[in-house]
Amino acid sequence: MMGFTLNNFIESLKSGLSYLPVTAKLTFTAVVFGILFGLLIAVLRYYKVPVISKILTVFVTIYQGFPMMVALLIYNLLFSFYIGPIIQFFHLGIEVREANNIIVGYFALSLGAITSMSETLRGALNSVEKLQFEAGYSIGLTKFQTFTRIILPQIIPVAIPGLINNLVGIIKGTSFVMAIGILEVTNASLIPCFRTFSYVEGYLAAALIYWFFTLLIETLLSVVEKTQKQY
Amino acid sequence: MANLFSWERLWNIIPQLSPYLLITFQIVIIGLLFGTLLGILVAILLLNKIPILHQLLSVYISFMRGTSMLIQMMVIYYGLPLLLNNFGIDINGLDKLVFVEITFILNYGAFLGEEFRAAILAVPKEQTEAGYSIGLTWSQTFFRIILPQALLTALPAYGAEAVSCFHLTSIAFTLGVVDFLGRANTLGSASGHLLETYLYVAFVYIVISMLLRLGFYLLEKKFSFGREGVNN
Repeated sequence: MMGFTLNNFIESLKSGLSYLPVTAKLTFTAVVFGILFGLLIAVLRYYKVPVISKILTVFVTIYQGFPMMVALLIYNLLFSFYIGPIIQFFHLGIEVREANNIIVGYFALSLGAITSMSETLRGALNSVEKLQFEAGYSIGLTKFQTFTRIILPQIIPVAIPGLINNLVGIIKGTSFVMAIGILEVTNASLIPCFRTFSYVEGYLAAALIYWFFTLLIETLLSVVEKTQKQY
Repeated sequence: MANLFSWERLWNIIPQLSPYLLITFQIVIIGLLFGTLLGILVAILLLNKIPILHQLLSVYISFMRGTSMLIQMMVIYYGLPLLLNNFGIDINGLDKLVFVEITFILNYGAFLGEEFRAAILAVPKEQTEAGYSIGLTWSQTFFRIILPQALLTALPAYGAEAVSCFHLTSIAFTLGVVDFLGRANTLGSASGHLLETYLYVAFVYIVISMLLRLGFYLLEKKFSFGREGVNN
């Protein structure tokens, strides 16, 4: 086994950074879906909408017990089974081998983000006093108006720390998609290592990249929390 | 396509796969047990604010929180032998499972250390003063009065960490460790029918996570001694 060399490390760092857009897209998509559908699930469960809220509760409870890695492996397997027929059915005109399984990464990360963020948002919703709803209704606002104009603005500051924690979790989770062969920061950092057979530089480079961005986000969070304390 | 899933194959896989759950449990138990001990040590060292050591611990915790355990495991697996080689220690022949366990201990030492620190700080100062006033030494006061109360405060967070620890064992297969998921991969690849094995793995992970959460919930209820919880 070869030792650590700075040159290889820098090579890995460059290679990893060049795939930053892929990881950023994975993270961004998961966060957008996570907030939109997470909020929808949280609201449906909060208002106890018949049947749907029960189904969502069961789904979220079960999905929280589902490790991301196992989810990725199962979705990837289903992808490899069904991509051929799907291409044929829609006459997409691409080779099965060319089909990119990054969609599996998008799907698994988004679903994970939706469940974890829905729990954060539900917790924030529960922190709003019942009086706030009554006040809204008493001045003649509809349920929807009360929610969007009175409740939602109040839950945002409460939910931000939790959502940022979810975001850090999602960023870290993007490295898991390396296991199904998607070329993102982690796998890209390893490209130079396949030549040298020394992998420690690649993983260290990937670690450094993730560490930088999670630190950046945590610093942002502490700034947000400080400004919030002023109110 | 019609051959994607069969119940018969699923039943066949269960007795072959289930014993390997013990390896997964081993990772969780060793990781959490030594992780907890390390976490308590980290919390004590953090609270005493020893110069240099305090900064080093902050960097250690920040790294563990800021990177995924998958990458940490790989860094430890490839890096630790190189590091120890400099001191003339050769660990190249070591079982891969040991590297996984080292990763879990270091990771949970950091996460739990942070949580224990917060929980210790949440114990009122008067408790320490009360301990000193009846002539207890620092260590007697800490281990007999402060720590038991702090661990109780940390229990909900500890439960969440235990569940996440169990989930994260699913990364061990990437190193080639033959645990529950690792064995599922080899069995499934050998027979060409991965779906049944993966679905069984998912089922077991989900059921055990739910049992763990229920267990910690009951534990919290038992130890709250009738006090009202913060969340309810």
